[in-house]
Amino acid sequence: MARIDIDSLYKRFGAETVINDVNLSFEEGDFIVLVGPSGCGKSTLLRMIAGLESISAGEIRMDGKRMNELPPRDRDIAMVFQSYALYPHMDVARNMGFSMEIQGRPEEEKRSKIEQAAEVLGLNRLLQRLPRALSGGQRQRVAMGRAIVRDPSAFLFDEPLSNLDAALRVEMRLEIARLHQQLGTTMVYVTHDQVEALTLADRIVVLDGGVVQQVGTPMELYESPANLFVARFIGSPTMNLMDIKVLAQPLGEQAFLSEASQLGIRPEHLTPVDAGEGHLQGRVEVVERLGADSFIYAQVPGAGRLLCRSKGNTSLKPGVPLGLHLDLPHLHGFDEQGQSLRHA
Amino acid sequence: MPPVATPWRARLAVAAEPWLYLSPSLILIALVMLLPLVIGISYAFQAISLMNPFDSGWIGLQNFSTLMDDAKFWKSLKNTFHWTLASVVLQFLLGLGLALLLNRGFHGRKLVQALVFLPWAVPTFLSALTWSWLFNPVIGPIPHWLAAVGILSEPYNILSDPDTALWGPIIANVWFGIPFFAITLLAALQSIPNDLYEAAAIDGASAWQCFVKITLPFLAPMILITVMLRAIWVANFADLIFVMTGGGPANSTQILSTYIFTTAFRKLDFGYASAIAVVLLLLLLAYAALLLRLRKSLKMVDS
Ligand SMILES: Nc1ncnc2c1ncn2[C@@H]1O[C@H](COP(=O)(O)OP(=O)(O)O)[C@@H](O)[C@H]1O
Ligand SMILES: [Mg+2]
Repeated sequence: MARIDIDSLYKRFGAETVINDVNLSFEEGDFIVLVGPSGCGKSTLLRMIAGLESISAGEIRMDGKRMNELPPRDRDIAMVFQSYALYPHMDVARNMGFSMEIQGRPEEEKRSKIEQAAEVLGLNRLLQRLPRALSGGQRQRVAMGRAIVRDPSAFLFDEPLSNLDAALRVEMRLEIARLHQQLGTTMVYVTHDQVEALTLADRIVVLDGGVVQQVGTPMELYESPANLFVARFIGSPTMNLMDIKVLAQPLGEQAFLSEASQLGIRPEHLTPVDAGEGHLQGRVEVVERLGADSFIYAQVPGAGRLLCRSKGNTSLKPGVPLGLHLDLPHLHGFDEQGQSLRHA
Repeated sequence: MPPVATPWRARLAVAAEPWLYLSPSLILIALVMLLPLVIGISYAFQAISLMNPFDSGWIGLQNFSTLMDDAKFWKSLKNTFHWTLASVVLQFLLGLGLALLLNRGFHGRKLVQALVFLPWAVPTFLSALTWSWLFNPVIGPIPHWLAAVGILSEPYNILSDPDTALWGPIIANVWFGIPFFAITLLAALQSIPNDLYEAAAIDGASAWQCFVKITLPFLAPMILITVMLRAIWVANFADLIFVMTGGGPANSTQILSTYIFTTAFRKLDFGYASAIAVVLLLLLLAYAALLLRLRKSLKMVDS
């Protein structure tokens, strides 16, 4: 288990700065998820921790020890690649035991460790197969097995589930969560999928354009996003955003409204009420019934389309006028620069 | 529909149809490849010497029994092994080294990659002449260099010493053949996914372990097929030797293909030359069959 500290980290490819002044601390045993849109520098940051990418400026420490100059093999980390990077000419057992083969460990030790990891991942019957004879999910497990066998002080995952179909993705997500509980090892996990981030993380790091936007627990990020980017990125369906002008009249007394330029409210905090009541007036556009929830898309003059999420079924029909009630304690205000006014 | 017994003519037409479509290329192959091959092989069982035009005809295996007692043939056979083995091994090792160098990024890599092709662009005849001059102590530098580093006691022409003469064409051939291996192996190297090396680096592998445990297994199928093709080609490759030494001195550089050539076109004994050619053909077939078996028994990497 390891604590990882990242100080004023920069990465430049030529003139392009891909990682820009990143400062982070990961506690021992934390499950950290780095999340952000494609191309924001998540993989680059992870690969810098792994030692696969050089550091332009700044410092990475593990348990207080400077890592910058150490090659990957001296960092005591294991990595699971997006492509799995299984050795195609070696069977599953040899793939998993490759690190021990390199160190020349005794055959007995290798076998017992491989069998132990195979047990954890349900790979016992597949040990003699070549990777090409495995399904996507099985390859994914082998890649994880290869990491587990090494018993590292930190696991690094780079979008490990992005090549799997939706059902398998949910299953493997649970598997990874279970693995973390079982091993208690520090894990750094990269994904562009905010659902994976919210479900897996102890703490989430939101990256955009190589800059850390916010660090916090899933609930902190969901309930008080630090800026518009995080507000839009975290949460599905996304937060409703509207110009302050739309609500200036009905909400005149709110303290932060004077500085706000945009307001945001999550769908579950927007309640449909009878026409003429509530803070906003509009018309039902589309109703989606998901069983447990209903999504009501409403057209509101000046604010565009807003989404309400209400429990259970609804009797609203498309085209019907309605009022919308805002749950004011859950209203978010953002200034000209997109920074949250509620966030400290 | 109830099964109807088709008349045999209709069935024949169905069976013949694909062959009719194929016939133009089949006829062409038969005319330009099979026919000459059969005629050539048939010469091996005849006496056809332009020196004795009236003494020709079928003589059975007589050419082959003469061959068994022909010291020049056995010497050529031994030289063929020596020539092919040394040429291919050196071409392969140096070509692999060059491919590994070219596979790393460096400044001017594109230029170097283009230059590597150069030996191929030079006509064989010209490179053979150039190399024989290079080995000539009167005008070439190589004997002086070899003497300076102590390999030769004095700067003499290695091509005129029966003990060393074969090494002259071998060196020229190595120079000539490196690009073939460098280019084909470079293409194979570039098809190895980089993340395998990254995974291996994290697994703790050193550069040498990466090479042995990842690069070589990936290259193995390509190595086998290129070595096979190259060896067959080199065994048949008479140009360099013919121009540089003409098989001499004292047949010390005679290989089977040059022996065939001189027998046919100097001594004008086509029957005997064909007999030697048939032996060479059988040897190469046996060799190719062996390598193909080996290739099959290797666990292939999915491409
Ligand atoms: N080796 C490289 N050379 C130049 N630019 C690179 C290199 N690797 C990544 N980049 C750039 O860095 C940015 C971040 O890449 P990456 O970390 O892979 O993003 P992601 O968040 O999708 O994983 C991208 O704009 C990419 O083009
Ligand atoms: Mg990435």
